[in-house]
Amino acid sequence: MTRLTLEAIDRDEALLEAVAELHGTTRAGFLRTAALGSAAMLSTLMAPPAATAKVTDVAILNFGLRFERLQATFYTQADELGTIARMSDAKQQWARTLGAHERAHVRIIKQVLGPKAGRRPSFDFGEDNATDAAFTRTAVAMEDLTVALLTGIVPEVQDRRLTAALLGLLTVEARHAAWARHIVGSTPAPAAFDEPMTLAAVRGAVARTRFIVRQPKMTAHRRPRFTG
Amino acid sequence: MRPVAALGLTLLGAVAAVTAAAATVDSTGTVAPVAVGALPLPPTPAFTPGTPRPLGSVRHLSHWAPVRRATIARSAPDDAAPAVAALATTTPEGTRNAVAVLAVRQDGHGATWLHVRLPVLPNGATGWVRRRALGGLETVDTRLEVDLARLRLTLYREGRAVLRAPVGVGRDSRPTPRGEFYIRNQLTRYRSAAYGPVAFGTSARSSTATGWPAGGFVGIHGTDRSDLVPGRVSHGCIRMRNPDVVELAKRLPVGTPLTIH
Repeated sequence: MTRLTLEAIDRDEALLEAVAELHGTTRAGFLRTAALGSAAMLSTLMAPPAATAKVTDVAILNFGLRFERLQATFYTQADELGTIARMSDAKQQWARTLGAHERAHVRIIKQVLGPKAGRRPSFDFGEDNATDAAFTRTAVAMEDLTVALLTGIVPEVQDRRLTAALLGLLTVEARHAAWARHIVGSTPAPAAFDEPMTLAAVRGAVARTRFIVRQPKMTAHRRPRFTG
Repeated sequence: MRPVAALGLTLLGAVAAVTAAAATVDSTGTVAPVAVGALPLPPTPAFTPGTPRPLGSVRHLSHWAPVRRATIARSAPDDAAPAVAALATTTPEGTRNAVAVLAVRQDGHGATWLHVRLPVLPNGATGWVRRRALGGLETVDTRLEVDLARLRLTLYREGRAVLRAPVGVGRDSRPTPRGEFYIRNQLTRYRSAAYGPVAFGTSARSSTATGWPAGGFVGIHGTDRSDLVPGRVSHGCIRMRNPDVVELAKRLPVGTPLTIH
């Protein structure tokens, strides 16, 4: 019988990435091929995390970068594909402004992280940015999610200067969320308090969208068989 | 305690703390406000976001997408339209198959279709495929041009030439096809001096070498006979001197549109 491993069920590696963040890459590497439910896997998961397990500012910023890249690509592609051009004037202004802001967020977080910035992942939005209705629905959900994410992770940041800067990001994202809700005729501020989401919860929400996908294999080491 | 209630209490506590810190009470019970200047300064932000820039010109951008599911390309964005070609998920080289994306449209049922350039004969063929058969769209700002008369290759980035190199092209009996194509994959670390250190697969196919293994696709690659470049020496492929093809590989992403004229 073929043994079921974490690698087999975790095709976009979201779980392994979370394990690596909490337990370090060595343990994640071991768990990759360990059989699910095996004694070895259970004992490794139950062991206390290494001393370095604390989520660092760099890890938090990199997750923020990944999420901002997701948003920036979503808006940029919709613009390039002509989806935004087919919208009403008010919606065009909204969508283009949000796209410009998200691209600015990516640029600035990349600058702050410098060489520690993670690689750009591949994204697949399917039909979700191809039509006005799908784009709008996804944008509203994404902006609400961003606010919940930032509300949850900002208190985790150790560097006070970064905290202040991220609060500046959070307030802008909150304005985006309110604007998005206004665009669809929904209440811009539906509740007196926003519930913060943990990093793990947002990671799960992002993984469920399936927007972040494995990089397609476009290179190989085979001998060419072109016409020569 | 519910999280919202806890947050509310925290906020009330914070307000009380700030009020206490910003005021003093004298012996008569009168509250005297403390000068704002006495409060600690807020932390300096680590960065200040600049003015957002709108999306620039898309004139030099092109899109491509990997083929996620085997599908049929059709002559119109309609499931009932005649088939143009079948698209597999992988190439003969074992990489993910890819198509250049030219346009997007919705059909009467709300399904999204993409107009794509196909890696099939006759060269230049296009068709419509369901969006869901393709993976994530990728964007490139590069464009490659091969001039068969001048035996020259030019790579453009955002409309500016960034690399020029001499090339060897097909001899008269095995001509390199003309038209609009795209870069389909990249091969490296193989053992074949005849193809040099790097080879790029294109969507172009030789119309005379149809019996060639793997379908007679035209590649752009290095060579062990750099003395024959430039020239009309190949079976249809575009040959480059090895240092030139290595330079090209640093700048040429998969999906780049290719014009051969």
